[in-house]
Amino acid sequence: MTYSIIGRCPRTGRLGLGITTFSLAVGGRCEGLAANVGVCKTQAFPNRTNDPLGIKLMGQGYVPSRVMEMFAANDTEHDFRQIAIMDREGRIAAHTGSGTRGWSGHKIDADCVAFGNGLVGPQVLDGLIAGFTAKPDDALEYRLMRALEGGRDAGGQGDANSHRPERSAAIKVVDRLDYPDVDVRVDVHRTAVKELRRVLEEFKLYEEFYRERGRNPSKAIPQDVFVANLKKQRA
Amino acid sequence: MTYTILGRCQRTGRVGIGIATFSITVGRYCWGVKSNVGVTVSQAFANERNNALALRLLTQGFTARAVLQQLMDNDPYAEYRQIGVIDRTGMAVAHTGPKTRGWSGHVVGENYVAFGNGLMGPEIADAIAKGFLAEPESDLEHRLLMGIEAGRDAGGQGTRERPKTERSAALRVYSTDTFADIDLRVDLHETAVDELRRVWSYFKPYEPYYRHRERNPRGAMGQEEFMKTLQAAE
Repeated sequence: MTYSIIGRCPRTGRLGLGITTFSLAVGGRCEGLAANVGVCKTQAFPNRTNDPLGIKLMGQGYVPSRVMEMFAANDTEHDFRQIAIMDREGRIAAHTGSGTRGWSGHKIDADCVAFGNGLVGPQVLDGLIAGFTAKPDDALEYRLMRALEGGRDAGGQGDANSHRPERSAAIKVVDRLDYPDVDVRVDVHRTAVKELRRVLEEFKLYEEFYRERGRNPSKAIPQDVFVANLKKQRA
Repeated sequence: MTYTILGRCQRTGRVGIGIATFSITVGRYCWGVKSNVGVTVSQAFANERNNALALRLLTQGFTARAVLQQLMDNDPYAEYRQIGVIDRTGMAVAHTGPKTRGWSGHVVGENYVAFGNGLMGPEIADAIAKGFLAEPESDLEHRLLMGIEAGRDAGGQGTRERPKTERSAALRVYSTDTFADIDLRVDLHETAVDELRRVWSYFKPYEPYYRHRERNPRGAMGQEEFMKTLQAAE
């Protein structure tokens, strides 16, 4: 039970991943992103060696469709995996193995792949994509966030008889640097998508302050002062 | 304002980070750890680029001491940074720049660096080291968490007049895989170290289940079925 979206911003080339699931701490299993290389996410019964390998292969110049073939050849349980891969040019490969459980599938749209398993139905993928494509000029992290909210609002995880809550969630976005621009997580929560929105909004207020503090420490104001200013602005 | 323990397990070679701070989403800064390579964190006025360079140099075989020197030589603001590095032999080194704010310092020994800035005083760094060293035979994630909790209990961040809460925290451990063994975070909370302990306690019984399910998907128990076995065991 998981629903995810990988996406690319065609304006900036930024690449990102949004994910939420019933399992705990899902953000700790999202290492498949590299700036100016691509994004790769394996879920359902994930093979965790896939994502770091996928990044290395794309870094060497392999296209996503070829990476997927190599994953299949490298894994006796490929049929139990659900995988989406996108490279820096927006080329895509996706796979939903027949051994994944519940309603499972993937859907490719402009600059994104929505994919999930253990879902209430295909409308969840439509919700993810509608959220992602709603405001194409927004920063990628907001598009990914809106996608997750769209998936949740379309019913999310479960089946006809019962709904499964989102207990963890994460958004990661890489731009040009060795480390993510945006990396926010909720590891254990009853409404993880809602909580992720709260964390993301708060992070966005601090983002530039943190970046500048590292780049120009001699001019940095103390965080106390920054926080006090934020409070004043909110009042 | 941050306090951190970097550690390496002498028995297994696992490496990891425990960290807590007033800043939010600190786990974002904790990607300087790699299986069979080493671990590094740059904090205070963090130079976020340091981790990538440090991991590449450690991978090439430079010692922790040589890597730290390279990082400082590469940075016009080195005096504002606080950096810890441990290499795969367990050599541990740290740098606390004179322009980091509040009480700042580090305690270093073989296989660990306990360090922080904006702290109540040196007793915090001492407590972190003591917490880490208390149970040398335990799993590294447990030792790192013990270190952070000891730092919190000794007073943590701020001054006696103005203590500062921990708003985010993270725990990461690498073993031999190309991905993390343990990777847990609290990004935005009023008592993030307490919450990290809760997350860890909650996650701990799931960890072997997730691992097994990934490697042996055929006939894997459903997660809700697994949760019933947890409840039954309680």
